[in-house]
Amino acid sequence: MAEKVNDCIATDLNSVISHLREHFNDTPDLIFREFGIKQTGEQGLLVFMDGLSDKNAINHDILRPLQFEEGSGQAGGKLIMNVGHIMTVETWMRVEQNLLNGFSTLFVDGRTEAYSLDTRGWPQRAIEDPQMESSLKGAHQGFVETGGQNIALIRRYIPNRELKIRKLTVGKRGRTEVSILYLEDVTNKQFINSLEERIRAITVDVIINTGELAEFVEDDPYSIFPQFMTTERPDAAASQILQGRCVVVLDRSPSVIVAPVSFMSFFQSVDDYSTRWSISTFIRLLRMFAFFVAAFLPAFYIAVVSYHFEIIPLKLLFTLGESRGRVPFPPFLEAIIMELTLEMLREAGVRLPAPVGQTVGIVGGIVIGQAVVQAGLISNTMVIIVSFTAIASFILPNYDMVAAVRLVRFMLMVLAAMFGFVGLTVGLMAMVGHLITLKSLGMPYSTPLAPLHIKDWKDTIIRMPLWKMNKRPEGSAPLQSVRQGNTRTKEEQE
Amino acid sequence: MNAQAQKQKPSITILQFICIISGIQIGVAVLSLPGNLVKAAGTDGWIAIIIGWIIAGVAGTVIVMVMKNGQDETILELISRTLGKWAGKLAALLMACYFVLLTFDGLNRTVLITKTWLLPNTSSFTLMVLMLIPSYAVLNNQIIAVGRYVVVIFLMSLWVPFIYLLPLKNGHLLHLLPVIKEGWGPVFIALKALIYPSLGIIAAFFLYPYLKNKKQAVAGMWVSNSITMGLYLFITVICLLFYSPDEFIQYNEPVISMLSSIEFRFVERIEVLFIAFYIFFFSMVWIPCLYLTVECTSWMLGGKKKTLHLQIICVGLAVITYLLKPTFSASDDLQERLMWIGFGFEYVLPVCLLGYLWIYGKFQPRR
Repeated sequence: MAEKVNDCIATDLNSVISHLREHFNDTPDLIFREFGIKQTGEQGLLVFMDGLSDKNAINHDILRPLQFEEGSGQAGGKLIMNVGHIMTVETWMRVEQNLLNGFSTLFVDGRTEAYSLDTRGWPQRAIEDPQMESSLKGAHQGFVETGGQNIALIRRYIPNRELKIRKLTVGKRGRTEVSILYLEDVTNKQFINSLEERIRAITVDVIINTGELAEFVEDDPYSIFPQFMTTERPDAAASQILQGRCVVVLDRSPSVIVAPVSFMSFFQSVDDYSTRWSISTFIRLLRMFAFFVAAFLPAFYIAVVSYHFEIIPLKLLFTLGESRGRVPFPPFLEAIIMELTLEMLREAGVRLPAPVGQTVGIVGGIVIGQAVVQAGLISNTMVIIVSFTAIASFILPNYDMVAAVRLVRFMLMVLAAMFGFVGLTVGLMAMVGHLITLKSLGMPYSTPLAPLHIKDWKDTIIRMPLWKMNKRPEGSAPLQSVRQGNTRTKEEQE
Repeated sequence: MNAQAQKQKPSITILQFICIISGIQIGVAVLSLPGNLVKAAGTDGWIAIIIGWIIAGVAGTVIVMVMKNGQDETILELISRTLGKWAGKLAALLMACYFVLLTFDGLNRTVLITKTWLLPNTSSFTLMVLMLIPSYAVLNNQIIAVGRYVVVIFLMSLWVPFIYLLPLKNGHLLHLLPVIKEGWGPVFIALKALIYPSLGIIAAFFLYPYLKNKKQAVAGMWVSNSITMGLYLFITVICLLFYSPDEFIQYNEPVISMLSSIEFRFVERIEVLFIAFYIFFFSMVWIPCLYLTVECTSWMLGGKKKTLHLQIICVGLAVITYLLKPTFSASDDLQERLMWIGFGFEYVLPVCLLGYLWIYGKFQPRR
């Protein structure tokens, strides 16, 4: 029996049924359907997983033509079905895998081969607006949970045969399909190969989500900064591919991984390219400012109030003193209480269903905004600082980076409480030191800043007009650096 | 593929080369330089900078010329090839001592300045440990990280000189006149004060093999010297314009004290913010020097376990601070000594080496 599992399938239908029943015991959703094939006059057996396969296709495109249409009439002749993708399988292994993936398998009495018919049709979500990364002017299609569809969504943007896909399988039990998408004549082979190498090295039961995959293949798993970007926007993924990066599509996961990325990529969004360049430049600078505010402001406040109040001008000092006069806590404790409250509110809002979530917002608003101050527990200025910090962190377009900033903020607050400005400087120094040594798929993470590529600043720190960006970013070391020809200059000459 | 990429020798760009050398030179020295110059030559001290620029530039060129004798090897390998294995080891030991002194001096000054201006109640030991943590984070990743770090710090501090233009509205050109009031004698004596602030060109001995385009090395040396000396000239002249010669001597760090005269509507005592920021600047001395120390010691002992060496040196620096409890006068003393040691290492040694290599080349049978 054991050899049969590896070996050829049985030719006799009864032994096929008994074999499958034995291996798939306690699997009531495996359906067996025996029927006579009119086309050849043989006995047929169709096996499929209920729920994973498309019943319409089975009824109309397989059973009907086989049962009712005339054919050659010879045993062993060709079978005519209205199915696009038919595979001939000869081993039980393949039969099993295909069945579990939603293919239905047709056994014919007396034949040594079976036919796997593509009738995949599992429960699917319709393509919707991306939830996490909504955009004003960008496309309103987000990735869904089917890898094939996600690849199709990307292909719609890059209908070019240079767009290649490397397919791998991850997970012993889950056998998740992982596809690496890249442009063959642009993307540096080094990235694809090292990515493939790392993905192949994974040995787990199953990978459910892209976040898990990223954690397994990241360069520095101990860093708090995300080294791969995940996006749920096909347009964003396509534009990253065009810049010479790879995109990893994980089947069953509604977001894809973009690699290699730099620290600055987390400050960009698709909308940057659809608004006027001067405005998106301003917004990018605003985001960078917001990053520093979100990371440093509470720490800066703590440092000033507990160590260096001499830098505050006298008038402001009076105002501050008035507001802090009644507060029984040292500034650090005050800040920690407020920040923790805010973090809790945020977490609560994320997990709760939308109607309840609003209540949390209201409660939080009242608690933070009014009651705490009136009770004299927290100073007014602290409330302002915390809310300003929160707003600043909402500006950053990428959730993973926001999460990292939250953690950085707490570390800096501790440093500021212990050493004032010196602590802040040392914190910033350590952060710079960490960022410049971090890598994403072997590429320097801090790329247009360190190592310095001034040309890449065109599309990182600021956004120059699109017709000025004729080269792909040096940071991702593309094989083909020219992206476009001159559009404007010719016109102006004429 | 990945392994291949890692095997590639790390390289630094010319910009990183320039910034590392300038960084070591400017670092902590810029604070005391104007005071020292004025003590030696009065208001004519700034002229010494121009002469010092030429001397340091020549010394840098000599270093590059020495390095051109070797192919892709550091000075230590070059010495051990031409002078013998033990001479190489000895050179490594001496240089390691020199670099560790420079590191300690840089760290020590930073700690002292932070202690005086920002955190009088914190112990030197704590501050020293605090400064060593980010250094460790950078240095754990070798030369590439050092180069990138220094460039980032340079970029981040580009705006600082402009702030120094603000007090100029209270400056008087009259303070500089008449030029050469006491003859050229004091100007040449003031050159002595420039030795310590120009220390750092020796880093080229170790950076040269990593440099991507070696033809730019001489130009790079001159550019970095020009940046350093240009900044010194800028700061010194501004200090001279701002303070009258009598006032000048009252201040230990005129470069910082001058900032107190800047007033903004929204912030008072702006120098507090600046000193916190200057820690970045100071780190450009000790981070590369710490790297060079590790490079020397690890080379001496076989070139392995760099991380262990780094750890031992960091712990050593912290322990020494704990035991010595350094003061400003001790630090001044150290700087005085470093000046002469550095003069030996960075000006005399390269010339001797160049002479020796020239003779060695004559007697070496050609292959």
